[in-house]
Amino acid sequence: MKILVCLKQVPGKDAPLRIDASQRAIRDDVPYEINEPDLFALEAALRLKEAHVKDGGEPGGEPESEIVALTVGPARASQALREALAKGADRAIHVEGAEAPQLDAYAVAEAITRAIAGERYDLILTGLQADDDGFGQTGVIVAELLGAPHATIIMEVVPVAGRALGVEADACRIRAKRELEGGRFQWVEMPTPAVLAIQSGIGKLRYATLMGIKQAKNKPLRQTTLEELGVRPSLNRQVIERLYLPPKRQGGELLTGTATEQAVQLAARIRRAIPR
Amino acid sequence: MTRPQLEAEVVIVGAGPAGLACALHLARLLAARQLPADNIFLLEKARALGAHQLSGAVMDPRGLAELEPEFATDAALGAVPVSEDALLLMAAGRAARSPITPPPLHNHGNSIVALSRLAQWLGAKVEAAGVNIFTAVAGRELLFEGAHLTGLRTDDKGIGRDGQPKSNFEPGTDIRAPIVVLAEGPRGSLTRELTSHLGLRGENPQVYSLGVKEIWELPAGRFPTGRVLHTLGWPLAPHLYGGGWIYGLDHNQVSIGLMTGLESIDPATDPHDLFQQFKTHPWMRRLLAGGEMLKFGAKTTPMGGWHAIPPTAGDGWLVIGDAAGFVNSQRLKGIHLAIKSGMLAAESIFGTITGEGRLQDYPDRIAASWIREELWPVRNFHQGFAGGLVPGLMHAGLQMLTGGRGLHARYQAQPGHERMLPIAQLGPAPPRTAADNVLTFDKVTDVFHSGTRHEEDQPNHLLIADTDICNGRCVREFGNPCQFFCPAQVYEMVCGDDGAPRLHLNPSNCVHCKTCDIMDPYQIITWVPPEGGGGPNYTG
Amino acid sequence: MILVIAETKASGGLNPASLEAVAAAQQLGAGPVGAVLLGGDASAVAALTASPIERLYHGQHPSLATYSPDVWVQALVQIYEQAQPTLILLAHTYQARDFAPQLATRLGGALISDVTGMKSSTVFIRPMYQGKLAAEVSFRPDIPGVVTVQIGAFNHASLRRDAAPAPVTVVNVTPDAPRLQAGEIFTEAKQAIDLSQAPVIVAVGRGIKDPKNLDMARQLADAMGAELAASRPICDNGWLPMDRQVGSSGQTVAPKLYLAVGISGAIQHLVGMRGARTVVAINKDPDAPIFEIADYGVVGDLFEVVPALIAALQSPPGAPPD
Repeated sequence: MKILVCLKQVPGKDAPLRIDASQRAIRDDVPYEINEPDLFALEAALRLKEAHVKDGGEPGGEPESEIVALTVGPARASQALREALAKGADRAIHVEGAEAPQLDAYAVAEAITRAIAGERYDLILTGLQADDDGFGQTGVIVAELLGAPHATIIMEVVPVAGRALGVEADACRIRAKRELEGGRFQWVEMPTPAVLAIQSGIGKLRYATLMGIKQAKNKPLRQTTLEELGVRPSLNRQVIERLYLPPKRQGGELLTGTATEQAVQLAARIRRAIPR
Repeated sequence: MTRPQLEAEVVIVGAGPAGLACALHLARLLAARQLPADNIFLLEKARALGAHQLSGAVMDPRGLAELEPEFATDAALGAVPVSEDALLLMAAGRAARSPITPPPLHNHGNSIVALSRLAQWLGAKVEAAGVNIFTAVAGRELLFEGAHLTGLRTDDKGIGRDGQPKSNFEPGTDIRAPIVVLAEGPRGSLTRELTSHLGLRGENPQVYSLGVKEIWELPAGRFPTGRVLHTLGWPLAPHLYGGGWIYGLDHNQVSIGLMTGLESIDPATDPHDLFQQFKTHPWMRRLLAGGEMLKFGAKTTPMGGWHAIPPTAGDGWLVIGDAAGFVNSQRLKGIHLAIKSGMLAAESIFGTITGEGRLQDYPDRIAASWIREELWPVRNFHQGFAGGLVPGLMHAGLQMLTGGRGLHARYQAQPGHERMLPIAQLGPAPPRTAADNVLTFDKVTDVFHSGTRHEEDQPNHLLIADTDICNGRCVREFGNPCQFFCPAQVYEMVCGDDGAPRLHLNPSNCVHCKTCDIMDPYQIITWVPPEGGGGPNYTG
Repeated sequence: MILVIAETKASGGLNPASLEAVAAAQQLGAGPVGAVLLGGDASAVAALTASPIERLYHGQHPSLATYSPDVWVQALVQIYEQAQPTLILLAHTYQARDFAPQLATRLGGALISDVTGMKSSTVFIRPMYQGKLAAEVSFRPDIPGVVTVQIGAFNHASLRRDAAPAPVTVVNVTPDAPRLQAGEIFTEAKQAIDLSQAPVIVAVGRGIKDPKNLDMARQLADAMGAELAASRPICDNGWLPMDRQVGSSGQTVAPKLYLAVGISGAIQHLVGMRGARTVVAINKDPDAPIFEIADYGVVGDLFEVVPALIAALQSPPGAPPD
């Protein structure tokens, strides 16, 4: 099967964030890394590829699956593709543009669908949401633009005897395990092509091997630009008017008295904060 | 367990200025003969190039200009020319500009660079030249056949805290290569293994300083871009080698820091705390008022000079850069020497590959180059300060008049950790500076600002041969100096269940400075690289 | 009209978060509020018609018995065309995250998600960068807008309806057969604890001193209906598993209430929990940084305060206050 994994870079986890002069974006002099949920999407794709059985052959035999990593991002985002290739993606697509960080989920989804026009993927995987803008929408919008079915918050479980984990790939249908609130789950089945937004924490992320890093250099990387695809910030359907630091939490009330007295006051405030 | 096997022509450990210069120069030499560069491997333990690179830094352009003549005008590198420099003499509560800036501290013609950015900039060229760069890969162990170095083994990934493989376990790779270049920086772990295995040593033991640094953003115009200030004196006691710096970067940012010699007689010497004190000086307070601390970092630098450099070439190996000790301690400059040492190594390697030379001619190349020309006259500089600041300055003056000889052909030196006096001979440890979180910060907060992250579920990488010494003898003898000299609070003494003091480790705070490996008085701490990819992040 | 999309609980009845969405819609003050319910039971209908909405659109069709995004979006588009709202609002539930982006795109509009407040009737406030920053966001002019509101950000306690229950308009929607086939919903013990979804958290730090004191912490967590979490040193020591760690090297949480017991408040920990709505801290060090961000603080010996707190929580709420 042909799997597209959409990933992007976000600022490093504890990088200091400063608002830039426009007051609508952060200054980009921070370290960047792949959005962690996207790494789980890549991991899901890699596990699918490993477990895919061709004509009843052994897992790990001649793989039919192809994994393509795609990113919409400025020049630095090619690093994310290199990492995906090093971990086992077969080829990559870079939709490059300096304006990429300004695009909203809809515009990014347009960029993705235009970049892959003419290609047919059985499965498109995205991370559940990005640690920067936190939209959590791009995958679902891609599904809508392609007219493909989708499901979100997809978990994966330990593989059972050679079958794929949680997403069983068959010629034209897939099954995915959806997470619901309150520790409940549900299996859903749908035809391909389909889009899945993958939940984090499905298992441990794999490391790239030295061989993988070495081979990444020679894997095909197709480059296109936002401009070529006709995607620009004017396509955005929502606009960030202002980005700002939320007011700092202030220290509140210090409760006084004996331990018992403090406890009683505290219990009252706790009850107020969490009505049952 | 079967490990993946790879073969290379050359493997270079460490993508700092020396390792990158070696790789780039070698790739170009090979390209000129239509030979490929893709059998050169460059390993870097950080997750991304430049992430573990930290310095002030004021760079003498001499080395980089040989490698990349156009560097000064390349905006991608962003080198800031030094516009003015001065020396500030500090006492408690007072500061005065030295009327004469000592010639070694003249920085006209030099550039302020961010070392992490230099690594990224050079790294892009190294990759474009066809060299294989492997990030998040640590060199963990050398492979020997007798005295012949045949390659190295990279780190295992995915081992849990309990030492057991996790579900994503990947064994390290054995890289077989006829030529291994160690460019790990100060107190490299493989370099330590090499010198220990082969019994190598310099004429003098290597000694180090620990630099503790913060980047601040200041109100516009407070400190001009390109201004370089060094400080001497307060808060360092006269017996303590070191000094401070303030460098004006662009975007209203300054690099400020304090270097403390790792050879103090006082086991309670705390370089991080001395730096916090430094910021409370009225002059510094005024400088930093209204500013914001952005980043923190700490790194050691070798200061032993020419006589502390061990053998740098052998059967299958070279040691270059800070790992060898190519630093001018008088001018506080090493980047240009690291780059040059890397280029000369490339030439030796190229000669070996083409049969026109030998690996072992590397020390001769060094001796014939401006590296020796520069380091020979200052060979006794640092050692002259063994008696303190005033004798040191006198020795320095005398050395300048005698081409570096001073009073002795080679000044004696002691490893830093041997100079520590037992606490019985000293007063109680001084109180630490209270952090106000505006001007001064505690170690844990500073570590947060270094971007340090490690995989939490991995074995401890600070190998302590005998913790009974830490919990017993060291408590009585030296008062557990690790809790003071580590700038990242990796080492803490806590009260055990029985009320007895016990060493508690926080390995994931580690900023990879190597101070503990250098300074523990019993030399029972061995720093090995944690799982590749972990550590500080000095990029951005 | 602002149209609120209501959601039912799996066990039947209205998901209270839908009433929060009604409250949010009211707060906008941009016209009357209506609601739409797809399928659902009589109790859900009653709860909605008892809230201050102008009208309930009740979508009906056999395939509405089971949620799937295909069916939901088609049904909602039909009702949208009938109700012609100026804005669509719903709670940011797992289900909403699954279909709302699709609905917005199908309508030619956009979704502004996870809103915590409004600056005006057209400018919404949402967190970004995992709560480190906030953004004011608006829709491009003249496109249909969908907004999801963060659960717990709006309070429905003061919703009141004086008049008779709101009228119901039944809409017999005609969605195509869903492409998704959904199986049974089942529970499973999650292999890893997801603290990011916990509404109440009790976290312990070094002040707890000994693993045997964790029993007391567990009792407190039980008394509060809370999940137990910890700062890094506790997990480092192996006293609690690493998936209970909150902080920069652990999980990031945003509960309604976070009670920090014996935690000093180092920045590595704070960045993991600053999204909490209410922070309470118990620590014997009055200078502990945690007090700088705690809404309620108790400077005291946790070994005295915590048992007293457990007792106070377990006794009936009518007990003498303060």
